[in-house]
Order: sequence, then structure tokens, then C-alpha cells
Amino acid sequence: MEINPKELELMGKTQSPPPGLVNFFKVEDVFNLARAHSLWPLTFGLACCAIELMAGGAARFDMDRFGFGVVRPSPRQADLMIVAGTISRKMAPCIKTLYDQMPSPKYVIALGGCATAGGPFKYPGQYGILEGIDKIIPVNVYVPGCPPRPEALLAGILELQKQIIEGKAQGRTSPAVVHDSQDNRPAEHKNAISRAEFRKTT
Amino acid sequence: MNSSLLSETFKIVLLGTLAILFVAVNALFLVWMERRVAARFQLRRGPIHVGWQGSLQTLADALKLLSKELVFPHEANKFLYLLAPLLAFAPIVCAFVILPLGPGAVIRDLNVGFLLLFALTNISFIGIFMAGWASNNKYGALGSMRAVAQNISYEIPLLLSTMGVVMAAQTMKLSEIVSLQEKAWFITVQPLAFLLFFCSSLAEANRAPFDIPEAESELVAGFHTEYSGMRFALFFLGEYTAIFVSSAVAAALFLGGWQGPLLPGPFWLLLKTYALVFTVMWVRWTFPRLRSDQLMNFAWKVLIPFGILNVFGTALWLYFEKFFA
Amino acid sequence: MPTLAEKDIKTWLLENVKPDEFLEKDFKKSGILFEAVVPSGKIRETAAEFLAQGYFLESLTAVDFAECFEVVYHFNRWESPPKRCCVKILVPKEENKAPSISSIYKSANWFEREVYDLFGIHFTDHPNLKRILLPESSAIFPLLKSFKGEPAGSDVEQSLKLIEEDKEGFEIRYPQTITEHQKEYYLNLGPQHPSTHGVLRILLHLSGERVLDAEPIIGYAHRHHEKMMEIQTYQACWPNMGRLDYVGAMSYNFAYALLVEKAMGIQPSRRVEFIRVITTELNRITSHLLWLGTFLMDLGAFTPFFYCFDDRERILDILEMVTGERLTYDYFRFGGLDKDVPADFVPAVKAFIPHFKKRLRDYDLLITKNIIFQKRTKGVGVLSRENALAYGVTGPCLRASGVPFDLRRDEPYSIYPELDFDVAAAKDGDVFSRHLVRMQEMRESLKIVSQIIDKIPPGEITLGKLPKNVPKGETYTAVEGARGLFGMCLLSDGSLNPYRLKLRTPSFSNLNAMIDMVHGCFVSDVVSVLGSLDVVLPEIDR
Repeated sequence: MEINPKELELMGKTQSPPPGLVNFFKVEDVFNLARAHSLWPLTFGLACCAIELMAGGAARFDMDRFGFGVVRPSPRQADLMIVAGTISRKMAPCIKTLYDQMPSPKYVIALGGCATAGGPFKYPGQYGILEGIDKIIPVNVYVPGCPPRPEALLAGILELQKQIIEGKAQGRTSPAVVHDSQDNRPAEHKNAISRAEFRKTT
Repeated sequence: MNSSLLSETFKIVLLGTLAILFVAVNALFLVWMERRVAARFQLRRGPIHVGWQGSLQTLADALKLLSKELVFPHEANKFLYLLAPLLAFAPIVCAFVILPLGPGAVIRDLNVGFLLLFALTNISFIGIFMAGWASNNKYGALGSMRAVAQNISYEIPLLLSTMGVVMAAQTMKLSEIVSLQEKAWFITVQPLAFLLFFCSSLAEANRAPFDIPEAESELVAGFHTEYSGMRFALFFLGEYTAIFVSSAVAAALFLGGWQGPLLPGPFWLLLKTYALVFTVMWVRWTFPRLRSDQLMNFAWKVLIPFGILNVFGTALWLYFEKFFA
Repeated sequence: MPTLAEKDIKTWLLENVKPDEFLEKDFKKSGILFEAVVPSGKIRETAAEFLAQGYFLESLTAVDFAECFEVVYHFNRWESPPKRCCVKILVPKEENKAPSISSIYKSANWFEREVYDLFGIHFTDHPNLKRILLPESSAIFPLLKSFKGEPAGSDVEQSLKLIEEDKEGFEIRYPQTITEHQKEYYLNLGPQHPSTHGVLRILLHLSGERVLDAEPIIGYAHRHHEKMMEIQTYQACWPNMGRLDYVGAMSYNFAYALLVEKAMGIQPSRRVEFIRVITTELNRITSHLLWLGTFLMDLGAFTPFFYCFDDRERILDILEMVTGERLTYDYFRFGGLDKDVPADFVPAVKAFIPHFKKRLRDYDLLITKNIIFQKRTKGVGVLSRENALAYGVTGPCLRASGVPFDLRRDEPYSIYPELDFDVAAAKDGDVFSRHLVRMQEMRESLKIVSQIIDKIPPGEITLGKLPKNVPKGETYTAVEGARGLFGMCLLSDGSLNPYRLKLRTPSFSNLNAMIDMVHGCFVSDVVSVLGSLDVVLPEIDR
């Protein structure tokens, strides 16, 4: 294997045998290596980023080179959920269900601004979207961009690969309420104007 | 217990283990080959980074599938759900019993030869039906229904097409059929039968353009929608082994099996088989999928009439041959 | 004939309905011929007459004023010169009821549900008045001016509560188990399904594999574009244009630029027009290529997808060179462009043209002439002219039904009248015809590009500093997007941001027409019909 020596070195550094009668950590390392090189994504696109996800699998970028090309339509057979696009409130429960249906070990990549934190559709008082998929499911890697280029997606998956080999691929959910600087933008909600006034002047 | 029984038992265990080992390695190779072949058809490279030329890619996939969580769907029929993958996989491995690898190199040279083979491969369809039915999923149920309909339809032309060969060879022993092809392969005398056999075996192995039981864009994943981890891998193994077996049988029946100059028999058989498997892949990555009713029409209105015609023609030829000889 | 018919509907309106207000409009400036405010009791009668005269319902929306709601109907006809008319009814706020015209126009069914969803206006006698874009458990009517945003926008607990409520509603309405000896059952295609092209859910009522009834359920990609545009400046709306129909975003840029230019009364330079047309047509090709690849994938052929994407990448390289983006373009500006094209642009386009011509030949040989492909597509999912009219279908889907209606020719904008191109059309209205039309359109787009690529005149690419607000008034603009007629209806109150901006997206009506196309089909055909409609979900859900 081409990347083997480096990876083995990394494993040696980061893993220490846990206490116990029988240790399976070496076996676990081998499995992690296998998992890292065989991430089957779930066929699943939400919006714009899905097109770049498709482009990532298509001829020029070809995710299959690294073994990420077996796109499974059934969540039961997938390892990796690439959340590509805006999560609307209506879609959020379905994503949660899909995540629950995937067998562990499972990983999540938040692709693009919307899946990371709401992207361009975030404004104070918005009513339609969930600001970041990490509010409902744990995320391993965030890929920024709107939409990210396919290269960025590949880099994201390779980063996840590194995490898995190191045995550190624990996803995180974000705290319930996130205050970021953008939330202070005042939204200019207008009041209704009078129709009679409007008609008079036009 | 006498010694012959012991040695016989030992032989069975040894050969069985060898067969299963071969099945596993062969499936890994075929999946890798499929992905590389598909990539070549599609202007891309396919798996190249895991091992030399991606040769360890499928091993990684297999190990990962081994270590995945086995999900058991809510309200599924537990017994059938667990039995189905085994039933879909095991009979196909059994088919290796009668596969002649070289002169005399066959585990059991039965006189009903490939009748047993077809009986065995049919059992795997029961497994597929059980899988879809037991997993309490509508896509699965639809997929398994389609599988049953397809299997029933395509079994007939498959057997009809082999009848021509049997009539010409006057035997059902696979090894004898192969030995008879020393001078001329049966494809030269039975070209129509070969075409029919190839089409039907594509359908029997659920391969595109006849892959409606697991039609990805329609039924998500068809009968194995609810299967995860190693149980899913067993279906996969079964599918690829079925392709190998049907290609090997086609090679034995029509392409002269182990016959070939210079090189040893098993090598020739494997070469011919893999060439056929390559053709199967070529077809898959070229054509769109048929619709289920068109699939049935193709079997009942095209393949079966031609199959009967072929049997009839062969019979006439055999009858009049006596007068000319 | 056309002039007579136009006179007919106008005189008919004036004589029979006696509108409360009637305004003749300048088509060049406002995009409509006349505007009539009719008594709400007479709208059904009016709509029936419009249908009888061959008008389709282009859009139906509402505007929230202080004293009442205005429900706005735009009717149009497949004809050149354009015949867009605007009819309005006033709905008092305390009553909040309007008569439904869904029994006259089938497309009104979804339009009225949308208005109900966003404004809370009840349509009496509507067969199925429920939420369409928002979750069914929602309690808000977001486009009301009194709706000031949800304070708990980023509160996860609130979101999770909503999620739980949705789940319950989901299971109650559609019982999931098959009872014994039951032949008919429901099947959910989506929202996560490999061939729904995003997050569409189709509830199929099946008997075996036969489709008895299909109900597309949309709203899974609702991104509150229209509300967003009401609270941000005109300039800040550009990114929204790139993300509505991300596959053919240039046409949407074009529409928005034309809309505001029309409202402000400005005209870009010739150079800008040429570059706009070239980039839009290139983008149209990428859109059709994406459609071709995914459509063939729906039919089970995987390889064309990769070839289409290979060609698509070549165009994206050119467009990226110009715009800096691969997908969600916001390249146009009011009265100009973001930046001029680089020097490599013209040679790159010229190099692409012969390559793509060769590829188009390959596609024809390998796909159009493939017998399995023809068997799967011919005679499937037929859209008749009558249904196309009733559903307001536009774009390639309409042209495949034998109506050569293309806004580039019939309501010409920019430099299209000077160009030599044919409007692709087929007559059968089935999936195969739609395939033929799109293949032909790629050829025509290539023809347009090769015609003018050498003739880009010199000129300024911006008009310099422009006022930030748009004058008071109502403007309607429509362009021919890759999927059909994309209309924008702007009501400006003269301030820095739009008062109401309705987006009339083609896929919305085209998808609605699917209901009648899949009766009696197999599940496999549903997939191919859906693929042939070429819907983009965020454009439908907005």
C-alpha cells in the first residue's frame, strides 16, 4: 500500500493499548485502515453542493480513485453521509432518520456553507432552515465553500480518512445556541404599505 | 470407520475449503476488475491508490464490511431475514462441485451434470425472495417480486438453449461435453444457442440490462435495501460468483472449456471465463435497463420461441445427419 | 388572428366583468399589456374565459398591503408577440377568503396552496388546501408583512421540537404498513431517493407496480428566497439568483438584470448583451448536459453520465475563467457585468465548439438510436397540449408537446431577435420527444454561440454609478431558462429593497403536470418521466 508506512507510524504514536485481559487494538487498527480506505457515501443531495458532489464522482475528479466511489443509495450500506446543501426545517427530520439508519461506524461531512452554519440563507429571524447540520447529528469534517469545489470535497474526505486511521474520528455536535457576530445584523422587516397610497403615486 | 470413508471426508472438506477460498478471492478480483473496467469505459481511472493499482481496494472494502454493525430492521421476520443471505450464497458455491477444470479435474463428475447446476442456482433465488420479503421494506418486497418473475421467465430459455448442446453431445456430463469439443467448439454448431444462453444467464445473474430486482434508480437497492455489513457482502459475493459460474458453464458448453494449445486446462478455462465476464461487464456499462414488462416480453416472445426453434433445428439436423453420414 | 383574440379578451373583460380598475400598460416598460382589478366574485368566470381563449396561467401570487391582500393572476398565451395580461382581485383582511380557480386551471391548485402557505389566504372550494412549502406543523405565514421573523431562528431546541411534530404528522397521514390481502399500497419515493434529483418526495399509490395516483410533495428545499429578498437590498439579491436554479443560473441572472433594468429604464451596452447571451447559452448547454447524464442514469445507463460531465467540465472551465465560479454564478450586474471577459475566452470557446459537435454526434449514435432507450421512452409519460395549457407547462417539456413557444423568439429580449436559431420542437409529447428537444436545443445553443463569438463588439461593461433604489411601480420580466419560462414580478415601493418579488419558476408548473402523466405507468416509468421533466428542486421550493 502506498500510504502505508506513514500511516503505520501515525498509528504507533496515537494508539496506546487499553487495559484489559485481551487487547484487540491491533485488530482495530487494521479495521480502521480498511474503513478509511473504503468510505461508501450515501446518495444524497440537498441543493447546489450536490452538483459538485456529483462532479466529484464524475470523470475529472473521480472519487473512486481513493475508494470513495461506491455510492450506495441505501443508508444501510453506507458509511459516510455527505450533507450537501441547505437543510430546510422540513428536511431535517429525514436527515436525522437517515443518519440513524446507517450502521456504525458512520461518519458525516458537512459540505458547504449551508450544512456548516446556514450559509447565505442565514439571517436573524429566518424561518426556513436549520443553521448547520451539527445541530442534530455529529459532524466529523466541515468543508467550507459555496459551493465547495470538488477538490475541496476530496480534501475533506482525505482529512476524514486521516482521522479514521488515527482512531480519532469522533464527530461532534455543536452547542444548542450559537452566537456569532453575524447574528447582530439588523434585519429590515418592512411594515405593510397602504395600497391606496401606492396606486396613487404610480 | 474404514480408511476410505475417512479419506473421502477429508477430500470433501479440503475441496470445499478450497472452493470457498477461491470464491472469496475470485469475488474480490472480480469487483476490482469491474471497477477498473467501468472506470475505463467512463473516462476515469477507478481505484488506484489503495495498494498497487488499487489491488487492495476490495480487500479494504471486505474488511470494512466485516466490521460494520449488523442492523436488524424493525418488525422484520428474524429467521427468514438471517437465513436469506446464506441461502442466496451457499448454493452458488456448491455449483463448483461439477465444474470441470481440466481432464479429470472435477470434484464430482455427475451424469446429470448441469441439471444439478441449474437446480442449485435456482435455490439462490429463493434466498433473494426471502431477503426482500423478510426485511419488511416495500422496496425490498418489490425487488424480490421482480426477481421471482424474472427467474421463472428466464429459466426456460436458459435450459432450452442448453438442450441443443445436450442433443448434439448426447450426454449431460459436463466433462464429456468438453472432451467432445476437441475438434470444434459448440459455438460453431450452436451459435444461436450460445446467444440465448448468454442473454438468459445475464438475466439469471441479475446483471444490467436485466438488473431490475435491484434497480438502483428505481428501487433504491431492491431486495437488499435493508441489509448491512457482511450480510450485504454475502449477496454481493453471491452475485459475482454467479456471474463467474455462468460464464464458466458457458465456456465449458460452447467455448471448449479447458481445451486449448500449450497451456494447462484450468488456465484456458479461466481465460475463457474471464473473457466472458469482461463481456458481461461491457454490456452492463453500455446499455440502459429494461422495464419489467419488456423484460418478460423479451423472455417469452423472443428467447423462448428461438430456443424452441433451436431445439427443433438441432433435432432435424441430428435426424438427417444419419442419412448423409 | 392574434390581434383579434387580444381585442376579444380586453373587450370581453370590459363588457362582461366590468373591472373596478382597468389600466392599459406599456409592454416594453412593465412586461404586461393591461391590468384589471376584477370583483373577486367574478374571477372564476374571468379565468374560464381566459382558458377558453387559449391562455395559460403563468403565475398566481399575492401581495400584502395594509388594508387588503391583492391576489395577482398573470395569464399568457403561446404566441408572438406576447400577450401577458394581469388580473387582480382584492381580498379584505378581515374576511381573508378568495374563490379558488383550481377547478378551471389545474396549475392553480399548487399556486393557491403556495399563496395559502405563505400568506394564509383561504381559497374556498379548493380540493386540497394545505401547506405546500413549509412543514405541515408550521404556524407561521412568512410573507405577511406583520411576520417579523422567528426570534428562535437558530435555537436548536425549537428546531428539534418542530422536527418531532413533523414526524408525527408524517406517520398519521400516511399509514405505513401493508395489511393482509391488500393489493393497493402507498410507496414513498424520496425525499432521499437516487432518482428524485434532490429532495423531492413522490407519494405513489400503487397496485402491484402500476401507478394509480401520484402526489409530488415539495418544500424539502425551501430556502425562503422571497422573504430574504424583501429584507435585503437589490444588490444583495444577486447571490440568491445564482442559487435558485443552480444548474442554469445564468438565465436567472439574466432575468433579474432585465427586471431591474426595465424598472429603472436603463440599457446596457452591446458588448454586455453579447457576453450575456454567450454565457447564458453556454450555461444552457451545461444544464442540458447535466440533465442528459442524470436522466440516462435514471434509466440504468451509467456511462453517459461521465461523458456528459466531462463535456460539462470543459464548459465550466470557460465560465469559471469568466465569472470565477463553477456553478452558482452571480456574474451580471444592473446595466452591465461584474467584469469583462479575459483574453483567453474567445479561443477557449472556439476550441470547444468542434469538440462538442463531435460529442453530440456520439450521443445521438449511442443514446438516441439505442433500441432499449427508445423502448423505455417512446409513448411513456405523454403530455397532451390540453394538459400543457391547463398546467402552464413551459420550456422543452412544452415544445416536446408540439408547441414551439420559446421566449427567446416570441418575447425577444437582449440581442436574440438578431440571431439565427431554430426553436426545437417535437410533436409526441412523450419522454423521447423531450429528449429529442433537449438534444436539439444543445445544437441550437451551440449555433448561437458560434454565430456571435467572433462578433463581440467593444464597449463599456458597466454603466457606472447607479441609484440604489428602484422607482415605484410594478414590473414583470420573463426569460427562457433552461427549464422554461422564468418570470419575475417585482413590486417596488421606491425604497432600497423590493416590497414583493415573486419568482415564477418553470419547474414548479412542470412538476405539477407530472401528476397526470404517470397514471397507469410502472414505477420504472415514474422515474423516467420525472427524469425527462428535468426539475431542479431548490427552484421549485425557492
